[in-house]
Amino acid sequence: MSGTTTSPDKVPAVEVEIDGHKVEVPEGTTLLAAARKAGVRIPTLCSHPAVEPYGACRVCITEIEVRGRKRLVTACNYPVREPLKAFTESDETRQQRRGVLSLMLARWPNVPAVRVLAEKHGAKPPAYRHPLRNEATDACILCGLCVRACSEMAWEDIIAFAGRGAGRRVMMPFGEPSERCTGCGTCAYICPTGAIKVHDEQNRPVDPARIRKYGFRLTQEMTLLDDQQCQMRRVGTAHLVEIMDAYDLLPTHNYKFGKHPDTPKIASHVWKTFVRQNVPDGCWAGCQMSCAKAVEDFVPRTGPYQGQKVLVDGPEYETVAGCGSNIGVFDPHDILEINFYCDTYGIDTISFGTATAFAMECFEAGILDTEKTGGLELRFGNGTAALELLHQMSRGEGFGVIVGQGVAEMKRIFAEKFGGDPAFLRDIGMEVKGLEYSEYVSKESLAQQGGYAMALKGPQHDEAWLIFMDMVNKQLPTFEKKAEALHYFPMWRTWFGLMGLCKLPWNDVEPEDNAKYPEPNKVPGHVEGYINFWAGMTGQEVTIDDIIRMSERVYNFQRVFNLRMGKGTREWDRGPYRAMGPVTVEEYESRAERYDKQLRELVGYDPAGKSTPEKLAALRKYREEQYEGLLDAVYKRRGWTRNGIPTIETLRNLGIDYPWVVEVVRPWLEKEGAA
Amino acid sequence: MSPAITVNDEPHPWREGMTVADVLRERNFVFPLLVVSVDGVHVSRDAYGTTPVPPGAVVVVTHLVSGG
Repeated sequence: MSGTTTSPDKVPAVEVEIDGHKVEVPEGTTLLAAARKAGVRIPTLCSHPAVEPYGACRVCITEIEVRGRKRLVTACNYPVREPLKAFTESDETRQQRRGVLSLMLARWPNVPAVRVLAEKHGAKPPAYRHPLRNEATDACILCGLCVRACSEMAWEDIIAFAGRGAGRRVMMPFGEPSERCTGCGTCAYICPTGAIKVHDEQNRPVDPARIRKYGFRLTQEMTLLDDQQCQMRRVGTAHLVEIMDAYDLLPTHNYKFGKHPDTPKIASHVWKTFVRQNVPDGCWAGCQMSCAKAVEDFVPRTGPYQGQKVLVDGPEYETVAGCGSNIGVFDPHDILEINFYCDTYGIDTISFGTATAFAMECFEAGILDTEKTGGLELRFGNGTAALELLHQMSRGEGFGVIVGQGVAEMKRIFAEKFGGDPAFLRDIGMEVKGLEYSEYVSKESLAQQGGYAMALKGPQHDEAWLIFMDMVNKQLPTFEKKAEALHYFPMWRTWFGLMGLCKLPWNDVEPEDNAKYPEPNKVPGHVEGYINFWAGMTGQEVTIDDIIRMSERVYNFQRVFNLRMGKGTREWDRGPYRAMGPVTVEEYESRAERYDKQLRELVGYDPAGKSTPEKLAALRKYREEQYEGLLDAVYKRRGWTRNGIPTIETLRNLGIDYPWVVEVVRPWLEKEGAA
Repeated sequence: MSPAITVNDEPHPWREGMTVADVLRERNFVFPLLVVSVDGVHVSRDAYGTTPVPPGAVVVVTHLVSGG
């Protein structure tokens, strides 16, 4: 991006005096950026904060004085290296600027952007007639903004300058439409003259310009802010690995703990050395977030592709946590290999990681042994055993057949066939409604415990990720506030599914002004963008309340569907205790100070002199009661009964009280006396 | 009793010369998407290192959301 050529955090400041206004800027800042900081406006036609300066139009020409010597420079690409004075309205500057604009007028006399500047700065058309005179109002002025935007903002190089001198022009390769161009519109949006047009022939939105405006805003945010925010373009969601570890949220050893001393071995800086395909990934045409990553020339050490170079699609955070820390594997090569074979075999990496972690804990707890696993030493950290398990699953052989059925079935099988304690298996088996948990430790966030266990599809965090709001920010101190969050966020996030949109551009880059809003967690600037997206597509003006209602209708349908499938009542909204608190003595004692403090301050129970099992029991009783309180509050907010059934009134208010829907809920309501 | 500040509703020890950057470091708040205020006044990211935290200050560090 333009503005500075080096990081402002690590370089000395330089004093600049611009038209008498003194300002300090980091060394390397361009004169144009320094002038902006000083509140002085220097005209330009080819500069934009999101792309590197280029010096194409020369309109920003400015007289400067360095160590007593005066000269002319183009402000947009002149880096400030030592103290200087700049004179943006000196006779010399004004004369040169007029000359540049006069030449532009000669060639592009009717382009509004040129005419406005020329008039403002007193430039007249020259007396001669330019041989390349172009009378069009939307003529290309060869500023190069589109070329740089395509390269630097869209990470493509589809358009470029071709030809030399008088024949210089912007074009696609060989002057033909490029198949790589997704029509993202970045070039058209940044063009100052309108020379590039986008034809919206596919989706036929009502107001494409309205949509494009917000699309470009995201592109600009990614270009300007991503490097200092989440680095989604550099490493994708894997940037979260070390962050989750820092907050004790990275699942390790089947969610027993939230951090591990070996996490640096699988942190984002490691993945940056593997990920070389930092190009638009194509999962969404024109998306500038480009967070999907790939590792080239990876050579698996096991399985059918052993010794061959393959491409690994990933890894992203869930895979690193699920197939890494949660099974105690901190070798990035093993994580990549599991990632590759999961993709190749069509196995979800989250379910594989969580199911394997459960099997490993059962092995270490003595419920399983090598006789039962067919020789697999399923201990935490054994990447070789995890890989063999994966290959067995794909072949439908050995112990892989059992693990491949998922945690819910394993709990039953281990109890019935291997003599495992059903209560212990229930406590540590991380599944709800038959789906494995995704990769966050939710023990210290009651709201997230609900976000997971109440999720209609099972414990996936894409309905609600409330851990920071609840556990770190302390924004949800009451059941009612948690319930409100467990209403708004699941409905908001459901809407992305309804629209067929990816959620990541909503919250993985934040607008620069996000802090000015009272509820920055909702990213109101982006919510406004989605409201405009809807209006631009359909022509229908909506509010956030309308959007939430769209989701509520579908969400309640889904709940009724769950009910019809036998999984839509309160008992199905409870998770395993491992998701709510420490199950084992080992877990409690690893964070004894935290838990003892909670017993004293929250439970009113003096832990002094008590055994760990006694303290575990007291904490568990408290946390389970809290969870029941949360269920009550959320059901009430959603218009459901105490058993989690949508009432007739709720269905009616949402306009979905169709006979076939009422038919499903009525027997359940009658059981509760709520029909 | 040494003076304290409040960080996200929890007491935190204060010391002379403390800045917002110190608070974030001491609390291990390493997440990049933060909104910080001191006594109700927003502190921009580039001012963390230069914004003093007075004794008794109420520091609110709002972590936003990232990931799927």
